[in-house]
Amino acid sequence: MREYEDFHKLIGDLRDGRIFGSTEAAEKALTFIKEQVGLCSSLNEIKNTLIEYVPPLVKARPTSALTVNCLREIVELTIDCIKRKMDAQKVKENICSKIDEMLRKAHESVKMIAGIGAKRIKDGDTILTNTYSYTVLNVLEKARDEGKKISIFIPESRPGGEGIDMAVELYKRGFPVTLFVDSAVRYMMKEADLVLIGAEAIAANGAVVNKIGTSMIALAAHEARVRVFVAAGTYKFSLETFLGEIVELTYRRPEVLLSSHELRALGNVKVLCPAFDVTPPEYIDAIITERGVFAPQAVPLIVREIFGWPPLVKDISVLIEELKRC
Amino acid sequence: MNYKLPKEVLEIAEGIRSMKIRGAGRIARAAVKALKIAALGYRGSNVKDFYDYMMYASKLLLATRPTAVSLPNAVAYVMSRLSRNIEAFSLNEAVDSVVKWSDEFIEYSLKATQLIGEIGEGRIKSGNIVLTHCNSSAALSVIITAHRKGKDIRVYACETRPKFQGKITAKTLAKEGIDVTLIPDSAVRFFMKDVDLVIVGADTVAANGAVVNKIGTSMIALAAHEARVRVFVAAETYKFSPATVIGELVTIEERPPTEVVDKDFLRRYPGIKVRNPAFDVTPPEYIDAIITEKGVISPHAAILVLREEFAWTLEERMKKLKLTLNYEIE
Repeated sequence: MREYEDFHKLIGDLRDGRIFGSTEAAEKALTFIKEQVGLCSSLNEIKNTLIEYVPPLVKARPTSALTVNCLREIVELTIDCIKRKMDAQKVKENICSKIDEMLRKAHESVKMIAGIGAKRIKDGDTILTNTYSYTVLNVLEKARDEGKKISIFIPESRPGGEGIDMAVELYKRGFPVTLFVDSAVRYMMKEADLVLIGAEAIAANGAVVNKIGTSMIALAAHEARVRVFVAAGTYKFSLETFLGEIVELTYRRPEVLLSSHELRALGNVKVLCPAFDVTPPEYIDAIITERGVFAPQAVPLIVREIFGWPPLVKDISVLIEELKRC
Repeated sequence: MNYKLPKEVLEIAEGIRSMKIRGAGRIARAAVKALKIAALGYRGSNVKDFYDYMMYASKLLLATRPTAVSLPNAVAYVMSRLSRNIEAFSLNEAVDSVVKWSDEFIEYSLKATQLIGEIGEGRIKSGNIVLTHCNSSAALSVIITAHRKGKDIRVYACETRPKFQGKITAKTLAKEGIDVTLIPDSAVRFFMKDVDLVIVGADTVAANGAVVNKIGTSMIALAAHEARVRVFVAAETYKFSPATVIGELVTIEERPPTEVVDKDFLRRYPGIKVRNPAFDVTPPEYIDAIITEKGVISPHAAILVLREEFAWTLEERMKKLKLTLNYEIE
């Protein structure tokens, strides 16, 4: 029963953004699947594990393209293995080594991005970032290791306070950090040299889905002629968007903004708390991937290189149905 | 020279400083009320000394918050009149006049908020979604007047970190029966597509029509401008700053970090600098109109209001400036 409680906690943490970065979100989801598959002893158990756990994981964080892309690959691989009449042990091994490989690749790509991204940072730069991002953290550290003196501006990121967590993380790593409220972004922008942000997902048109507030930051940067860079691996491309799907933006529970006690005290007040927003490509100067720096408008080019054209992707729900019939 | 002021005057000054008394209009009325209490509490017998005593009280009140111009304008409303007449006054006349001018200002201020509501509500159409920030009596007056005239409106209220004045706005509007939704400040651009117009208050309007208001206002105006949503500022004429006419900059107050994070956090992470600007400046090009109690004006016409309303102080300031400049040239 314990893993079931763990699963509910994981789903909650993913949905409410307690697991901040999308890289961490994918890591947690994949590690969970790997553990569960590891416990299975028959093909049916493996199938049922995926059928039971994959859809809610996707639903909890539909914006995280990395999570969605990785889970899709796992389901595709499983279908393929079963079709090729592998036994349960072999399928398990395949899934587990695939997950290990994906996690390794994700980390490798972050290191590559850090190497490329650090070159865009100059000695003495003040960099404004938003929320907690594992990729951004790596770029900043790399720049610092190259001997550049940089300081960081970061808004607190209501209601979750992920910006405060990132500030603490940066402080522990020895960066000079300045923290402020989310609404002070335009006020602080004049003193910033560049904006560096991570991404949950990158859509077919180069639009970037990220933590709420990112599009405001990009807009304020655009107005002040401060460059905006997005650091994100190509695994974060949302392939569904090439088929016309829209990245689903989730809302968080009202209680994250107001305690239920406060809600009652305010009377008939509604609360809306979107978790993510979309930054249009025209406010982004470049996307930094493990394959190099390019304009957001060039996303289709890279997608063609990696996944072929048009990218053949199946919706996870379709794949799950296919798995059920196997 | 230090004077002993009535306890209530000190309490009002402290209330303004600690933000127990918030909002440019409320601060102005509280300051003028403090002047009245000070005058009534004067225990001396010399009219010249009374003037010095009142100047002492004024300086104390003026030192509480640097940004909102309503405070110096309100104090000047009473004190400039006193200074112009002091030579001819007996002590009793001086005290009575301070009381009269204070009451006059408070009444004018309250009436102005109501007038702004009447004038501004014409810009709201039934079915509109309005976005507002912080807790401005002038902006709320516009929204509530529109609602009371039977217009069916919805409001997005930003929570307004660090002190969450948006919650007071939400509560006030909900009590009026208005459909109100509280949103985090970072979600303004997310919702701007649904919004028909933005109405905010002002702490200070500068000579060029730039509006100094609660931190976040300039972000909202920028997001509105991007989405072609109109931005209206509701501001009484005593929020226009005569000092900016002679080139002075409006000081943006940066408040203590403990309003953003707690003391424990600051102790644990001494290297993290926390900045807490209380206001920002919205450039006139993002403002469609300023709604005053004397009518709707373009922000670029701010100088008109300043020339009309503050002719006396502008003259004085110019004279003073000329004097210092002449002195420097010599």
